[in-house]
Amino acid sequence: MSSHQAVREGAKQVVRLLEKFPEEKFKYLVSFKATQLERFSRIAGIPLPKKLATEVPGENKTSINEIKDIVNRTSGPLGLQKDMLRKMQAAIPHDQFTESAMKDQITALSNLVNNKYKNYYDVGDKLYKPAGNPEYYQRIIDDIQGKKKENILAGLRTVFMGR
Amino acid sequence: MLKCTARKSSLNTVTKLYGINAAKTYNYNPVSLYSTTNKNLQADQKKQTELEFDTHGSPIVRGQKSTIPEYKLPKWKEALGEYVIKTFGLDMDKIRAGPVAGSYYYSICKEQGLQYENEPLSDSAKFFYEDLKLPKTFSQWFQITALHEWMLFVRMRAMPFKYGRNYQQKLVDKTFSDIEMRLFDEMNIHSGRIVDQYSKDFNSQLKGAVFAYDVGFYTDDTTLATAVWRNLFGGRKNIDYTHLDAVVKYIRSQLYVMSRMSDREFALGKFKFVPTKEKINKLSAQEEEEMKQKIIKKYEELDKSGLLLPSDKSNLSYDN
Repeated sequence: MSSHQAVREGAKQVVRLLEKFPEEKFKYLVSFKATQLERFSRIAGIPLPKKLATEVPGENKTSINEIKDIVNRTSGPLGLQKDMLRKMQAAIPHDQFTESAMKDQITALSNLVNNKYKNYYDVGDKLYKPAGNPEYYQRIIDDIQGKKKENILAGLRTVFMGR
Repeated sequence: MLKCTARKSSLNTVTKLYGINAAKTYNYNPVSLYSTTNKNLQADQKKQTELEFDTHGSPIVRGQKSTIPEYKLPKWKEALGEYVIKTFGLDMDKIRAGPVAGSYYYSICKEQGLQYENEPLSDSAKFFYEDLKLPKTFSQWFQITALHEWMLFVRMRAMPFKYGRNYQQKLVDKTFSDIEMRLFDEMNIHSGRIVDQYSKDFNSQLKGAVFAYDVGFYTDDTTLATAVWRNLFGGRKNIDYTHLDAVVKYIRSQLYVMSRMSDREFALGKFKFVPTKEKINKLSAQEEEEMKQKIIKKYEELDKSGLLLPSDKSNLSYDN
């Protein structure tokens, strides 16, 4: 029981670290923060943050859980053979954390949150402001964050000149 | 044509066989295979006829002998080439993009995640498929290759624009011609339409991956980790964070090694990915300075000596 408690505490810590992840400015199909928060909130036994909770069970869309339910009700889901399914199941790593595994997760996440590798392996302005195209990264970031909208001329220039 | 070797376990010798003639040159007695009287003999024979595929030393592009790792140009061709370069004053830095970025740099990206069903995994492939538990599929191989190519792109952007751009172009061109070949030959797809579709798919995957990694590289480790999760790990839910951590460390350390190289060295193809088992320590300021001076001295002497062939000359800087 005590180890179970420790795993729960660890999961709570993971959730706290995950909350430090920046919001993605660019919307992708899947969000790391959202899926992982959902995953570890369940282990930690804390309710999902409000914003996420409304996102997860969409009203019009079929949720992942509903699809899973439908798939599981048939005898051979997706028309696959039983041994194939077993193989697929075996290939997916499962969420059963031991105390030490949870500790590893926490150290790994805190390394990322603290920017450990970016600071240690500092590449300097040589790569951050590359000689061939010094504004390259700044332009991408500005565009994502909506700070600076480029006009069509600048866009055309990039198309023809390459930078 | 793939080379295949057949091992005779009893004699402990390795016979090299080529293609169809395999059965002819390798003299075993086919009748004994069907013998029902001696079961042990049967088992022995089975062992002997087992074929092992070995791609080591074979051309990178199948059917093109010039892509064999130990290939040497005939002397007269070499001399003619040097003469042409000298008389027309060709820009070698531009020409070199093909053999360096298109051939060499592509080959090191490709072999990182390369795996065949009946061959043991290389050390780098072990890291990706065993340590990180990635599925052994073609598209996974592409993602691994794309990650390494992106790392090279980052360094290529720091070269003078004209040259860096050309290097990137050559690397991408080679990637897609090779993918097309692999889909036809190795994945046994016979429909050109499907191969086209896959190529387009891989093209958009590469664009997306480069964009996401660029943002991650410039901002912070968490963004880079999410980019890695989305691309390399296919956005799977049950991700082990230690794996993400390891990949981010791998990327940052490789980029660090690249950032300490001068344009000249990088453009000449002196870079190779540091094996995952080796730990990369940061250089102290003094060591860095020492290394820099050594490189400057080496290339200054080479440039002044006049011993360089026209094809070895380069105008790229060696002091950055």
